[in-house]
Amino acid sequence: MIHLPLAHLLSEPVGVSHYVMVGAVLFTCGVLCMATKRNALGVLMGIELVLNGANLNFIAFGSHVLRNDVNSLGLDGQLMAMFVIVLAAAEAAVLLAIALNFYNNHNSIDVDRADELLG
Amino acid sequence: MAVFNRRTLETLCSHTFYIELVTVNLHTLVDSLLSDTLETSLPLFRPELAICGTIVLMLLVRVIRCERFLPPFCLALVGSIVALWLALPSEGLAAWAELSSQETFTGMLVFDSLYAYVRVFLLAFAVLFVVLSQLTGIADREDGQDYFTLVLGATLGMCIMASANHLLTIFLGIEMASLPSYVLAGIVKGRRRSSEASLKYAIYGAGAAGVMLYGISLLAGVVGSAHLPTIARELSSLNIQAMLASSEESSIVMVLALGGLMLGVGLAFKLSAVPFHFWCPDVFEGASAEVGAFLSVASKAAALTLLIRVGVGLGYVQEKPQAELAIDQPATVAEVSTAGQPPTTFAALKAGSIVAEEGASDPLSPVRNFFVILVAIIAMVSCTFGNLAAYGQTNIKRMFAYSTIAHAGFMMMAVAAAVALLGRDTIHAQTAISALLIYMAIYLFMNLGAFAIVAFLRNEMQSEEIEDYAGLIRSCPVVAVMMTAILVSLVGLPPLAGFWPKLRVLQSLYEAGGPLLITVLVVAGINTAISLVYYLRVIKVICIDPEPDTRGPVSLGFLPVAYVLVVSLPVIVFGILPDTVANWADQATKHLFY
Repeated sequence: MIHLPLAHLLSEPVGVSHYVMVGAVLFTCGVLCMATKRNALGVLMGIELVLNGANLNFIAFGSHVLRNDVNSLGLDGQLMAMFVIVLAAAEAAVLLAIALNFYNNHNSIDVDRADELLG
Repeated sequence: MAVFNRRTLETLCSHTFYIELVTVNLHTLVDSLLSDTLETSLPLFRPELAICGTIVLMLLVRVIRCERFLPPFCLALVGSIVALWLALPSEGLAAWAELSSQETFTGMLVFDSLYAYVRVFLLAFAVLFVVLSQLTGIADREDGQDYFTLVLGATLGMCIMASANHLLTIFLGIEMASLPSYVLAGIVKGRRRSSEASLKYAIYGAGAAGVMLYGISLLAGVVGSAHLPTIARELSSLNIQAMLASSEESSIVMVLALGGLMLGVGLAFKLSAVPFHFWCPDVFEGASAEVGAFLSVASKAAALTLLIRVGVGLGYVQEKPQAELAIDQPATVAEVSTAGQPPTTFAALKAGSIVAEEGASDPLSPVRNFFVILVAIIAMVSCTFGNLAAYGQTNIKRMFAYSTIAHAGFMMMAVAAAVALLGRDTIHAQTAISALLIYMAIYLFMNLGAFAIVAFLRNEMQSEEIEDYAGLIRSCPVVAVMMTAILVSLVGLPPLAGFWPKLRVLQSLYEAGGPLLITVLVVAGINTAISLVYYLRVIKVICIDPEPDTRGPVSLGFLPVAYVLVVSLPVIVFGILPDTVANWADQATKHLFY
């Protein structure tokens, strides 16, 4: 019989690991999005996905319903998620302003057009 | 000091059986929270509050339209000077030696002599930087508020980075320092390169911050706390060697290592260490020279302090705060938190138990080794790469960007040595950190001076190419001599200040010993020789090459020359008399570890 990795997730009641799994999928999608999108807004969306993947982790690790032991992150987890939500909004605002500034100078928000400086 | 334990509160709240206990404890908790905030934390936080007040005032002045009477430059200058004055201890700098480590804001931040030093450093830099911005005219009347608000906001973020004691404040500090920096990189409107630099910086930076946050979530989730000393205590209660051996528990160690690596991504981005250095040359070239100075001095100093905080926080258990915790915690609470709950892997550490002092340092040696190997390798690669890549550069800001990468690598070597020494010899670990602090102070004068000269010359001759500096010694001798002194000091040649910190870093690497750190020592030595060539090339262009006919006379005004002199004279003075800086740094690290 073949043992698929993570197959036990399907037979268990929903717990922390399920949430962390979804968080990992979000994180991977976000990183792929950041790496492949050529549009600055697409990259921004990827960043939001990564932040939300981390947020999901915080909530899951901090939940008393999912994991009621001394190791639970508790209120810290939820507080961290709240701070990250606010920070993500601030970051999005700044990134959009910078993208607009780039658009004004280059008439495009394609990150591949940012090639005058030889990084 | 009242230690307020969040976990106690949560554990109590989750047990309905202990309602009475909750009502009793809620009052005491709120009381201790209030006294902790008002009596302990806020007085120590006064310089940062002064910065906050200045920012709000600057924004308000624009709303009520009286910026003609209160120019933003004056506000920023007064605000940063007041903050610096509040940060200086009233009984003289020697008071740092007696300062004991103190957690503020319920353990989110920590106040110790290291932070006291770095805060004075950052605020002194802010004062000098505000003056420089006004002299070069980058903050004109229209943009002044925005510019100075961003600079002071970033400084505030760096202060939080340097005092972070919790994974959340690490992330918040890095973001608070980064977001204004993204905008500062593109503050010059209508320049294609400037907007490109800021877009690149923002996208790389936000990506690195996202990855770091995910790493933090893994680390905090697996260990069950985000408070650095608590994490260190939990880690020290694990037997990591044995866990690696068993197949089931090795995955936990893997997750911890992954979380640590991802946290390292964010730190390496701030330090512009090698795999994450791409932004650095582009941003320095595209942004104005003043912003380059800000990013290369203040941002690096804060990131290095944060690296120390992470390395020491995770790899060393301070005995003294732990004893306090054990005393403050009522015995009943300890019973509550353990009663009726299945022991899990990490439940080995009970809320009130004290880790034996002799056992406290040993179990963390895998953590320290992991950190030291990572930092040492990245430091070697950054140092070598930065110095090699600086060769072919024709733009002076780009050359300084690579030089910054190399110097950041050199400073990271001191951190590696300090953490390696932590386990067996805290006295020498303190010396290693004091070497880093001296390096940071000297580096401030070297790089601020260099970037100020670049900015003033840009205003005069509209060029930042190295070849356009030919024969500068004949048109403006003072600036050319100062630039030469700074460049020689950046190499680290003996009569100038840059020599002493390098020597101290090499000394601590030697003290730390071991095959890895001796290799680092050799690499650092070779790199000093490599860096000689490209710095001397600039000196040759400035001092020996003939003046081009196309260039008109270059004459800087009195104030710019005076500023350059004030900022770069310490490079010569501290070279001859290094004792002053060395004393400050030694006092700041004297009682860092118990």
